[in-house]
Order: sequence, then structure tokens, then C-alpha cells
Amino acid sequence: MRLPEADRAAVRAASMRLVREDRGAALVVLLLYGLAAAAGLGLPWLVGVLVNRVESGAGVSAVDRLVPAMAGFAVAQLILERSARYAGHRFGERALARLRERFVDRVLALPTAVVEHAGTGDLMTRTTNDVATVGVAMRDAIPEILISSVRALLVAGAAVLLDPVLGLCVLSGTPLIVLTGRWYLRRARTAYLAEGAASSELSEGLAATATGARTVSALRLGEQRVAIGDQAAVTGYHTRVRTLWLRTVLFTMTDVGRYLPVAVTLVVGGLRYHADAIPLGVVVTAALYANQLADPLDTVLERMERLQTAGAAMSRLTGVHGLPLPPAPDPRVPESDVLEVRAARFAYRPGHNVLSDVDLTVRPGERLAVVGPSGAGKTTLARLLAGIDAPDSGQVTVGGVPVATLPAEELRSRIVLVTQEHHVFLGTLRDNLAIAAPGPDDRHGDRHDDDAFRKALATVDAVWVAELPDGLDTVLGAGGIALDAAQEQQLALARVVLLDPHTVILDEATALLDPATARHAERALGAALHGRTVIAIAHRLRTARDADRIVVMRDGRITEVGTHPELVAANGAYAELWRAQTGTA
Amino acid sequence: MGRTSIVEIMGVTSLVFTDPGTPDTRGPLRYLYWLGRRQPRRVLTGTTLSTVWMVLLMVPPYLVSRAIDDGVRARDTGALLGWAGAVLGAGVTLAVLGTLRHRTMTMVRTDGLYRTVRVLTRRVVELGPALPRQVAAGEVVAIGSADIMTISHVLTVFGPGVGAVFGYTAVAVALLGISPLLAAVVLLGVPLLVVSIGPLLRRLQQADARYRGLQGELTARAGDIVAGLRVLCGIGGKDLFAGRYRDRSRVLRAEGYRVGAVTSWIQALAVGMPLVFLAVVTWLAARMAAAHTITVGELVAVYGYVAVLITPVSFLIESADDLGRALVSTRRVLRVLTLTEDIPDHGTRPGPRGQADLHDPVSGVRVPAGSMVALVATRPGDAVAVLDRLGRFTDSAATWGGTPLTEIALDEVRRRILVADNDAYLFAGPVRAVIGGGDVRPALRIAAAEDVVEALPDGLDSVLDDQARTVSGGQRQRLRLARAVHARPDVLLLVEPTSAVDAHTESLIATRLHADRQGRTTVVAATSPQLLARADHVIFLSDGTVAATGSHAELVRTQPRYRGLVLRGDEDVDQHHVVGDLR
Repeated sequence: MRLPEADRAAVRAASMRLVREDRGAALVVLLLYGLAAAAGLGLPWLVGVLVNRVESGAGVSAVDRLVPAMAGFAVAQLILERSARYAGHRFGERALARLRERFVDRVLALPTAVVEHAGTGDLMTRTTNDVATVGVAMRDAIPEILISSVRALLVAGAAVLLDPVLGLCVLSGTPLIVLTGRWYLRRARTAYLAEGAASSELSEGLAATATGARTVSALRLGEQRVAIGDQAAVTGYHTRVRTLWLRTVLFTMTDVGRYLPVAVTLVVGGLRYHADAIPLGVVVTAALYANQLADPLDTVLERMERLQTAGAAMSRLTGVHGLPLPPAPDPRVPESDVLEVRAARFAYRPGHNVLSDVDLTVRPGERLAVVGPSGAGKTTLARLLAGIDAPDSGQVTVGGVPVATLPAEELRSRIVLVTQEHHVFLGTLRDNLAIAAPGPDDRHGDRHDDDAFRKALATVDAVWVAELPDGLDTVLGAGGIALDAAQEQQLALARVVLLDPHTVILDEATALLDPATARHAERALGAALHGRTVIAIAHRLRTARDADRIVVMRDGRITEVGTHPELVAANGAYAELWRAQTGTA
Repeated sequence: MGRTSIVEIMGVTSLVFTDPGTPDTRGPLRYLYWLGRRQPRRVLTGTTLSTVWMVLLMVPPYLVSRAIDDGVRARDTGALLGWAGAVLGAGVTLAVLGTLRHRTMTMVRTDGLYRTVRVLTRRVVELGPALPRQVAAGEVVAIGSADIMTISHVLTVFGPGVGAVFGYTAVAVALLGISPLLAAVVLLGVPLLVVSIGPLLRRLQQADARYRGLQGELTARAGDIVAGLRVLCGIGGKDLFAGRYRDRSRVLRAEGYRVGAVTSWIQALAVGMPLVFLAVVTWLAARMAAAHTITVGELVAVYGYVAVLITPVSFLIESADDLGRALVSTRRVLRVLTLTEDIPDHGTRPGPRGQADLHDPVSGVRVPAGSMVALVATRPGDAVAVLDRLGRFTDSAATWGGTPLTEIALDEVRRRILVADNDAYLFAGPVRAVIGGGDVRPALRIAAAEDVVEALPDGLDSVLDDQARTVSGGQRQRLRLARAVHARPDVLLLVEPTSAVDAHTESLIATRLHADRQGRTTVVAATSPQLLARADHVIFLSDGTVAATGSHAELVRTQPRYRGLVLRGDEDVDQHHVVGDLR
């Protein structure tokens, strides 16, 4: 399953919403930008006035009388520019904060099944890269584009007001810039995305070579890694040549578009001056405006490419908002702790049943082991029992209520799935335990939970906690203490103890640990599971041997159910596996 | 189009098909100089173009002033058309020169960028196992993403830098021609103006560094939420994390306001200060024009020069900043380039012909030629240490066919002896290439990994990402095993190859592996009874040295500690911990 991307309309709506929510500030920002740009028109105009005064033979004192106005325009522009930029920056920061908070809230509200099926890779890219890309656009590109657009409009407007004919001359370079800009923007996004992708390929290749340096040496992959790196350089080179070609056209044309209107304005203005239609000052001012128009247009074009990239990122962020919300929770409360599977069928892809006609009743307090070869459907069964997925047909219920429709908190107080994938969150040990014991105000780490935390850690035999420098306040993960696999497992189990569910489902919980570590973890497991219903998916049959009942699965069906002696005596698939494993063939 | 492609081919050739050369690693400046020396013509062209371009930037204001004086004011249409045409001509020339300059500079950067990456890749490959022992892989990752960009960027400081000096001089000459007073004001004023923004820039850098720090932290927090999303879904705590994220997001926002406060001043001053300055200069020039010391055209020219002069001066200031950051980045690159191999390769003696005994004096382990031996250790690290010595990942007195491994060329050792770790790296690529290319089906069958490939959309052509993150832990393990088997080394040293595989599959692997390795030497560090039962003999290590040797059945019978270790959960006291509590 791939996460969706939003279409243009949805992206536009989401962006407009960000502006609308802060409408007052947006208006103020625009107004300030406009005033700052208007102040910027003052000096060229005054130069024109000066020229006229000098031409008319006015003395030095006539020049001096304009000093307050000149200083006034310059200072006004400085202050207005500052206020506008600052207001714009604050507006951008607020919008960005709302965007990222809303996105993270939405990610956290995703139904478990969506998270499980879509994986976290794509979501991770969206959460980190795309939020950052949109952030850069909001902080830099969008304000620049706005300011420059306002400035260009005002320069053009002022030139037309000054003299309509010369105004057209001032604009004579604009069609060239706009047409080249369109040509450029149509190609820029693909080209720059390709360049970016090639850059990441290059750095990921180097990262892989460095991370796998030992393997490179063991398998003598050196030449291959060098060749892959060189190939990435060739690809990167071609993408860079491509973007360089785009800039070659853009820069040349916009530069021509900068000087062309100056020349045209001089000629037309000069001829009109010769005809005594306008004073010299107007010609000078118009020529200065002509030169001033190119800069903001350049800026708009160069930033537009950023905006395009941000638009793509925004469509990925907005796309997540289009994902389904968890179904409305079932108001019914389970009548008992009995887990029942009735005629359950499940397929990840239509037509490829992973489970067919599965019937199973798990009795409260029993120890149930599920065994079978890889691909038999054990993990899928565990996911149905844990309420992550709902069966396509048939039912999986606890106390008569479908497991998948229970509200999340209700569900996890009853049934918890423990897998081999653990996660230690950034933060303190207390933070890592608090997720399983949400108190009323645990954002600030409630001290009175500490006893419960210590007890849970003791239950799972986490003796290493005593050696941590700051006890429960020790920072774990990156920048803190790194836990080994067995300790992570114990942490996961301590969370289970804190949740105190009546049923625990273990899906190969210790399979990835090395044997000595696994032994330690299994000891912790025994303690954590005390007094609960346990469903253990196992590939090591020794775990299964002493279970109350063993369920043998093959090809998505339950083929055998019974105790170890019964199944060995039955001489079926289980007996065969058992002999294979213990070498008693 | 034809010319472009020739240029392109020449570019690629010099960039990629040649040896990147031996870098000068004696210091960051020397390294940067070396990068420049690799492409002398390009650097020279870039410098020339930059200089000409910067000087020519001063021409249009001059031409405009002549157009106004000689064409407009003098009411001379011919001169007006001539000077205006010259403005357009200068504009087109500047456009072409500016673009050529940009193209050359981009190529200089590209060369430096790829040369650095290629030099780094080669060094990392040479270092091999010595790299992770000396630096964290994360350091190299950081270099590959950010530092190389900074370095390539600074390579283009030199050309425009020279150009900027010339440009500044050109304005000085032009202004002196108009008025010494104006020249003095402008030439001293512009640098002062740019430098005066300096302290603000430093404050911005500090605020920006804080902001980036917080931003990185917030991104890490979001990433952490996503990485642990499955746990949050299963165990809870979503509100807790949402609340924390929001709190930190607000802190970042507040810091963002502070950055904005400084940035907006800098941006406003960058535009506003020159304007104030321009106003002063224009006023002075206008007074001179009113007193007829200079012409109206020259008044306009002064206005133009001041505007143009800001380009080279800001460039020089920025360059100083770029250079500072590039030196830091270059030092990081040099740190990796100057690491030394810790497994010296001085061996000259040939390795044994065909199969030969292996001996590790430290532990006392002996592996007879052509047999399959299993290692069981009371401490798992001990078995791995033995394999590291036998595979020469650590130097020791270990011998192969009586010859010390240290006296055999390292390349031969690596070619013929393969240490296959359980956490060996899987590099991205199509499955077939990941396994080693060619006919990989037999190896996949031995590792019972055929179903892994079948489940992938394009079978053997399916592309896996680095570390094959899209497949499960057990599947990854089987792919690693298939890769090791496919290499068909004379000696295969395996570390726990089936720990994440189910019993049924493990049994298949044990049988097939034994059959495949018939006649070649294999050592397996393992505790799985199925692998142990298949081994020709088992060596039991206690505290790092050989405690007993024999068949699996013999050791189970005679060594209680061995039995405890490999049959845990079946006949051991631990049974009560594990399964007893399950009861």
C-alpha cells in the first residue's frame, strides 16, 4: 500500500486554509510589503526631479531643499522593509508550526492497520524531508516571491504613471523574461528533482560503503562499490548539466531583458525630449525604473522552482490528511476475556488468501502456542487476534465484540501484541515507560508513577536499571545510553506489565536475539506473562512443547490442535517438525 | 547540440573515467588547492571570465550617462541611437559573459564535488574494517551529505574574488575621472557599509544555529514518532507524544521569531543602507551638477556605479564566510582520508594450495581441511573472535596450512576465506546482484531463500534498498547466507546463520549447507541443535579456549554445560524459567 498524494485543488485548499486562519496578519504583511516597495520608488523619482532642477538652472540650494525628502524615502524604505520582513517571517513561522503540528497529529491518528500496511518509510520521508522543504519555502521562497512581485508591480505601475509611453518602454523586457521564465519553470522541477535524487543517491552510496565497510572488505566488494560510486557521479553529472543548461537559457535571457528596456527607454525618452514632450528628469527616472524591474522578476523566477518543489512536498503532506480515520469505536463492552475466531478469512491482495476458514477459541488463562513453517499465516493470525486487521469474512471477537472495532485504549488494556521489532523513544527511561501508563498530566513526568515503573522493570528482571547514571531520568537512544537488544526487549515487556492486559500475543518475540541474550529475555518474558492468557507464535518448538495447547498451521489453515504428547503421538506435521528440530529423526 | 555533447563527453571523461588522483592531505588549504590544480584550465577560464564580467558591469552606467549627455541633452539623435545601441550591446555581452562565467564555475564545483566523493569512496574501501574501528559511520554520512557541498562551493571563491578586486578598481578609476571627492566617499563608504552589517551577520549565525539545532531536534522527534508508530499504536502514549511535539514546536516557533527579528534587520539594511548611502552620494553629485562641476549624465552614472559596486564588495565579504565553513568541512574530509589501515598487508607468501587446516593458537581451535566444524562458546563473543582471527579481521598468530595468515597477501586471504557475519551489510540493488550475480538459484535454494525472492514483485530483478529494509529480519538473514554460499570460498566462516529462521526451514538449510560445502572447509558459530548435529565435529569453547571436541551427540552426552547451552528449554534448568512460567 502506498500513501496517497493530494491533488492540486486539495493542496491549494490546504494552503489557503493556512493563510485564512491568520487573515489579519496576512493583510498587514501585504500592506507593509506594498508600502516598502512604494518607498523604494522614491529615490529614482527624486533623481529625475533633481535633474529637472539642475537643467532649469536652479542653484545648489534648490538641490539641498530635496535632502529631507531623499533621506525620508531612504529611511522610510529601511524601516518599512524591516517591519514587512519581520511580520512576514512571524506569519511564516506561525503557519509552519500549525502545518507541522497538524501533520504529526494526523500521523498519530492513523489507524494501526494503515501504519502496518504502508510501512513507516514513506511516512518518515514526509515527516522529516517534506515538512522541512515546505518550511524552507515558507520562511524564504514565499516571502521573497511576494515582496518581489509587489515590487515589480509597483515599479511597472510607477513607470506608467510617470509617462504612459515610457512605461511601456520600461516593460519592453518583461515579455522576454516572462516567456523564458515559463519555458524554464516547465522544465525546472523535473530537472532539479533529478539533480536532488542523484545527490542523495551519491551520498547514500557513500554512506552504505562506509557503514558496510567491513562487509566490503570481507566480500571484496571494493571495486564494485567504487564503480557504483563512479556511476552515481556520472548520473549526477548529467543531471547537473541538465539544470545548468536550463540556467544558461534563463540567465542569458533575463540579463538581456534587464538591459533591453534601458536602451529602449533611452531612445524613446530621448526622442520625446527632443520633441519637448517630456522633461529630462522623466527620461532619467524612467531609465532607472527600467533597470530596477529586472531584479524582482529574476528573484520571482529563481524562487518559483523552490515553490514548485514545496508544492510537491505539500501534496504529500496533504495526502496523509486524506487517509481514513480509525472506524468509529464499538460502544459495546466485551462480556468476557474469551477470544474467538470464527470462519476467518483474510487476504492482503484479493484472491491470495493468507488465512482461510480459521476457527479457534482461546480460553482465558491458557498458554497457546502457534507453530508452522514460514508463510503459514501465523503472523497474520496474530494480527487479527490483536485487532490490527479485521478479517475479510468471519469474525474475531473478544467477549462477543469484534476486536478490531474496540477503542484503542480499551483494546490495549485487554490484548497486547509483542513482536521482535522494538523501539526505544528519544527521551528518558521514564518517558519510555510512561507511554504504557498515561497519567492525567504525564507530559511533565509524574513522579508518583515511579514506583509502578520500578516494579515493572523489576518484574522483567531489568537489573541493569540500577546501573544507569540517572535512574529513571537517564536519557536513552541517540545522545544517551544505547540499550542492547535484550534490554530493549525487557523495556518492551515492562510496558506490557504496566498495561496489564489479560492477553499477550508474542510474535517471535525473541527470534532476532542471539541465543544467550534470548535466554535472558525469555526469563523476563516468563515473569511478565505470569497470570495472563498467552498466545505464542514460535519457530522454536521448545517454547511450544510445554504450552497447554499447540496450534499447527500450514497454508493459512489450522491443521492440528492438541497438547505436545497428543500431537507427537498423532505423527502428523508437528511430530515431523519436532523430530527435525531435536535431531531425533 | 553537437557541441554540447562533445563538451559533455569531455566533462564526464575528466570527471569519472579517469583516476581521481592522490589528494594532498597535509592540510585543508592544501587539499582545496589540490582540487583547484586538478582543473587548471577551468579555474583559469573562470577567473578570466569573472574578472572581465565584473569590470564590464561598470560599463552600462557609463554608457547610459553618455547617452543622456551626448544624445538626449545634446539633442543629437544619431549619438542617442549609438549610445543606446551600445547599452544594449554591452547588456548582451554581459549576459553572455555572465552565463559563461556561471557555467565554468558550476563545472569547477562539480569537478571538486565528485572528485572529493570519489577520493573518499576509494579511501573508505581501502580502510575496510579499520573504518568502523576508528570513526562512527555517521561521520562519513554527514560528510557525504553536507560537507562536500560546502567544499565544492568554496572552489569558486577564487575566480570571482579576483574579479571583485578588479571590479572595485574599475569603479575607482571611473569615479576619479568624475570627481575625487565622490570617489573617496564611494570607495571608502561601500566597504564600510558592507562591513557594518558584519556584527548583525554574526548574531544571525548564532540565532540561526540555535534555530537549526531546535529544528533538527524537532525533526528527530517527529522521526522518532514515526519510527515508533507501531509501538504507539499497540501500547499507547499517542497523546503524550502529540503534546510533547506541540510543546517543542512552539519553542521552535519562538526561536524562529528571534531569527526573524535579526534576519529582517539584515535584509532591510542590505537594501536600505545602500539606499541611504546612495541618497547621500546622489545629493553630493547633484550639488556638483548644479554647480556645473559634473554633467547630468555623470550624475546618473554615479548613481549606477554605486549600485553596481555593491556586487563585488558583498561577494568578498560572503567569500570570507564561505571559506571559514569550507575549512571546517575539509578538515572533516581529511580526518577520514588520513585514517590508517590497522591490518597491515605485507604478506608475500602464497596461501596453501586447495584445502588446508586452520589453526587459532589463542583458543586452540583447529579446523581440519575440508571439514565442517561448529563452534559453541559459553560467551557468544568468543566464537566470533575466533572467526575474526581465522578470517584475519584481527591480526593474530593464526595459521592456514601452517603458514601464518599475516604472511599471506591480504587479497588472497579475502578471496579464499570468507567471514559471513550475521549483521553483514546488504547493499542496495537487484536481488541477483545482491547475492553476487550470475546463477544465484542454487545458493538461494541452499539458504532456503527461494520464497523470499518469489514474494518480491519482480523476482530476482526486484530492487532491494540498502540493508534490504523491505523484507523481514529472517528473510534478510537467509539472503545474507545465500550471498555467502554463492561466493563459494575455500573457507567459509559463518556466524549464527539461522538464528531468525523457523525450525522447518532451519532443518532444510542445515542439510543443504552441509551437502554444498562437502570437501571445503566451513566453520559455523552456532547454538542451533540442527546445525550442530550436521557438523563433522563440534568444538566447545569455555571462556575463549577449547574445552571439548566431539560430535554433537557425544558432547550432549558428556558435557553438561554444553547440553545446557544448546538444548536450553528442553532438558535444562532454564526450562523452568522459560516454559515453567508459561505453564
